[in-house]
Amino acid sequence: MFPLKKLIILAVGLFGLTSAKSSTGNSVLVVVEAAQKDDFSIFFDGMRDQGYELTFRGPKEEAPLLIEYDEPKFAHVIVLASDTKNFAKDITPQSLISLTHLKTNLILGLSTKQTPLTSLASEFGLIPPPPGTPLISYFPKREEPSTLIPITPKVQDSAVLQSRNNHPIWFSGSPHALGNNPLLVPILRAPVESFASEVDGGSPDAIVDSADKGGEGFWAGSQLGVVTGFQTLDGARVTWVGGVDVFSDEYIQKQSSKRRGVQSGNRQFAHDVVAWTFQESLVLRIDKVEHHRVNTTEPRDQYTIKDQLEFNAYISKFNPKNRKWEPFSALKDLQLEFTMLDPHIRTSLPAVSGTPGKYSANFRAPDRHGVFKFVVDYKRKGWTALHSSTTVAVVPPRHDGYPRFLSAAWPYYAGAISTSVGFFLFSAFWLAGEVRESWKRPGKASKIE
Amino acid sequence: MLAALLSTLVLALSAQAATLKLQSPKLVVTDSMGTQLRSDSFSLSKQVAEAVELGAKDILKMTFQVLDQETGNGVQPHQTFLRFYDEKTNEEGIQPVRVTPGGKAKFELNLSKPPLSLPPTPNGDPLKVSLIIGTSQYDPISVELFDLVLPKSQPAPENPLESTFHVLPEIHHTFRADNKMPPQPISFAFIGIVLAPWAILLSLWSQVVPKPSRLFSPSILPFVASLGAFEGLLFWYWVDLKLGQVLLYGFMLSLPTFFAGKTALASIGSQRLGRK
Repeated sequence: MFPLKKLIILAVGLFGLTSAKSSTGNSVLVVVEAAQKDDFSIFFDGMRDQGYELTFRGPKEEAPLLIEYDEPKFAHVIVLASDTKNFAKDITPQSLISLTHLKTNLILGLSTKQTPLTSLASEFGLIPPPPGTPLISYFPKREEPSTLIPITPKVQDSAVLQSRNNHPIWFSGSPHALGNNPLLVPILRAPVESFASEVDGGSPDAIVDSADKGGEGFWAGSQLGVVTGFQTLDGARVTWVGGVDVFSDEYIQKQSSKRRGVQSGNRQFAHDVVAWTFQESLVLRIDKVEHHRVNTTEPRDQYTIKDQLEFNAYISKFNPKNRKWEPFSALKDLQLEFTMLDPHIRTSLPAVSGTPGKYSANFRAPDRHGVFKFVVDYKRKGWTALHSSTTVAVVPPRHDGYPRFLSAAWPYYAGAISTSVGFFLFSAFWLAGEVRESWKRPGKASKIE
Repeated sequence: MLAALLSTLVLALSAQAATLKLQSPKLVVTDSMGTQLRSDSFSLSKQVAEAVELGAKDILKMTFQVLDQETGNGVQPHQTFLRFYDEKTNEEGIQPVRVTPGGKAKFELNLSKPPLSLPPTPNGDPLKVSLIIGTSQYDPISVELFDLVLPKSQPAPENPLESTFHVLPEIHHTFRADNKMPPQPISFAFIGIVLAPWAILLSLWSQVVPKPSRLFSPSILPFVASLGAFEGLLFWYWVDLKLGQVLLYGFMLSLPTFFAGKTALASIGSQRLGRK
């Protein structure tokens, strides 16, 4: 019974794996030199197994276009032609930028050569070293040349590499320093002992000289990135790869020179990079938001100052295994702002236990009236940015909305009621009273006179 | 094929190659006037026990010579770096050290002119200083030498948007204080004052003893009742009703009141005149 169960789970898992797709589409354009296409066959097959439909195009071929009639033709674009200096007319830095505005995800390859993509990379906050300076490391001692570096990712560094991957990732190519742009998502950093230097060693003095120049004269250490993601404000994801060989068959099949039989981590790494860049992993969305007064359920266009308000957000995460959006309750640091120009209230929006995907906060509307917004703005490195803004008016109480029967006013109430009672009693007595002779006579006499 | 084999052989040989050693490694701390504050030797095998502390204008000098372990000849490695690393902030700075072809290395850290590569130390946490020597044909060396305590510095510049990628501080609205109520006994006291005239009225009435003898006569009672109903309506308005409702009910009430009043006043008039 147990093995059968296991088998079914495995089969379901495999089925899920083969039909896995991105949350934004599965058409991929790969820009690669025809001669190099076969070098990446394992990488391409892996993507086909994931359910992606690959279309190939040489960097100088005119078709298929990236953008046709202002519409992106592909959901994702990979540019592996990292040595190419002249691309076809429609593959320009500008067109790649417009693709990100159209929410197309990109994987862009850099190399030690100066290409149009190198200058585009600096627009993304990457600071590439001068051409012809690959990443070099003499650590650890190994048979491979110093430009071919095994990098063991630090799992805590990056949310993107989620699968536990302790096998070294073989890398050769150009590193880049990272600017302080918070939209950058470092995926793989250079090893501590590595540095960028001219091919064939370069002279030790040249390194010191370039460092003395200050500024960006010197690229070294673990602050450098070799594969770095960038998530645009529009939600598109761009991954810069310092050397496209990291995806090549050679590196995927390469075994460690020290420990024979240990596969490299490149295959898993390539999978993770594609999964993140093509919006499979770390993809969130807000399904809906609700707001109402506490103990009611109906939303209102306007609330009164000092009302006790409740705000609910429902958040889903994309599950690439079954291509479904599933309620996601694991966000711990979601915050809600109640904003009129500036946030008047910022409070945590914790998950509600028992209702998957529901986050709820409870607060008292401020005693300022005006047009307020419920704002959820969640940005974390690697995750989809969540933004939601709901406008409501906060008004002062209506004329009959103020507190009543205050103790300070009791004397006034007593006065008014006593006047009313007095009037009523007087009327009743006057209307129903007896007409007495003693009263009548003088009256009548005076009238007669 | 042969070439590939040969090249791997060469690589394998080079990987087995000799080790490097440091000759007379020394670190000296002087102040800006040149007075020697500390002089110590360091080694690749053991970390210097006591952290090196530098004042704002002190100078740290390090000298050593890189030698081939076996031949004793000086070696100029391709990579001779000092790494300054702050474990808490994960900030790292790497400073290359100039080594002469004879292997002699001299490094000077003058804090009045700190190099750009030095990481910021906003909390004054010690930096871990390690020496990284890498070159082909020798075993690479990466050794932690000592902890370096620097004076506090400005934190690293941060992108203005960076804070929005972390949990932001909570903001609570400060409400205006509620209106203050006078104590209830005072309210009661004033109710007493307001109701005091009733005592006078009732005491005077007790002398006069008016008798509403005709209250239940059919000509008077409807009018008195409708006046009472008006008072009741106004009380109801105060407690619960809206203005529109009051106007509607008041209008509905006014017609019977009008006729009841006419009848009542006529009956009083006829009574007063007819009695005669």
